[in-house]
Amino acid sequence: MTGAEERDALRAWIRAHNPDVPPGEPADDTPIIERRYLTSLQVADLLLYIEEVRQAPVDPRRLKAGVFKSIDAIHATFFAS
Amino acid sequence: MDAPLVDVPGLRWIPNGQSVLYGPLLELADRLDRRFLGWAADWGAPDHRFPTFLPATVLERIDWFRSFPQHATFPASLDADDDNLAAFTDGEPVDGEGRVHPTRLAAIRDVLTPAACYHLYDHHRGRRFDGPRYFTTRNTCFRRETHYVPLERQWSFNMREIVCMGTADEARTFLEKATADVDRLVAGIGLPLRWEQANDPFFRASKNPAYLMQQIDPTKFELMFDDRLAIASTNLHHDHFGRAFDIERDGEPVRTACIAFGIERWLSAFVHRFGPTGPWPDLP
Repeated sequence: MTGAEERDALRAWIRAHNPDVPPGEPADDTPIIERRYLTSLQVADLLLYIEEVRQAPVDPRRLKAGVFKSIDAIHATFFAS
Repeated sequence: MDAPLVDVPGLRWIPNGQSVLYGPLLELADRLDRRFLGWAADWGAPDHRFPTFLPATVLERIDWFRSFPQHATFPASLDADDDNLAAFTDGEPVDGEGRVHPTRLAAIRDVLTPAACYHLYDHHRGRRFDGPRYFTTRNTCFRRETHYVPLERQWSFNMREIVCMGTADEARTFLEKATADVDRLVAGIGLPLRWEQANDPFFRASKNPAYLMQQIDPTKFELMFDDRLAIASTNLHHDHFGRAFDIERDGEPVRTACIAFGIERWLSAFVHRFGPTGPWPDLP
């Protein structure tokens, strides 16, 4: 997967789990927690999906402040390295 | 760690986690609360005096019992059936070690207030706001703990809170300004304090999605005295209470935030910093 495809996969997952997300949202830099596109009940499921997409487990030590702030932040944390 | 405060004028410690305040220490507690009320007034926040009982259904709306069962304290009463009461009186109501021997209990439907602000969300259930709203309340709060320390870790204690209900921006602005107000005060009186990211004490935290969420989206900050004692906290709830209590702002679940002050803990900070008899600084 390319970086753009990974971001689109994350976007599609968020949209699929939140029918109320407006068309075109979330952009790469949209604050998805502040907008409530991602809730506490969904974080664990999104983590599993991230592991599925990256085909590798997530190191729990990476679960720090800000890593789920936006698609950009998720991608930089779990895909870019 | 400093020795527990027991020989402080104006304090009588009850070892089950409660304290009696009187004299100069009570005056200081009242002076601190007036300072907090002054900040509430700056927000136009009306004061509310709620009962100490909170219906269990209110906390069930936010899944509180599964998140913090270790802190719950319930008001219990005997089933009013005459035979049940007679069995109670015919037995040993209280034994020599102070343990009550109840007969059949009536259904428990309430919990003793664990945090002052919960009442406000229930009080405003179903409201539709067209602008930011600010409220304040103070209550005796109850949290069961494994051990207690005078003025610092009590089963019952006093908490003053100021709550914002508004948009996401209004909630954040409220916390920024409220934090700045506190910073100005503590800098002026010379208390060694700093803000620190914190987590709520969730039961079985690793299994609670709310705990994971607090890790990745810090919403709670505590004002630490001497790097060990949280005397205040700021909390951003996003739309948690707005959804749970059906409170809306312009058609959307309201965003809420609060700043909370643990009054006995402020007393502890003052006594440790300035001595048990003062002189304690003015609170401009």
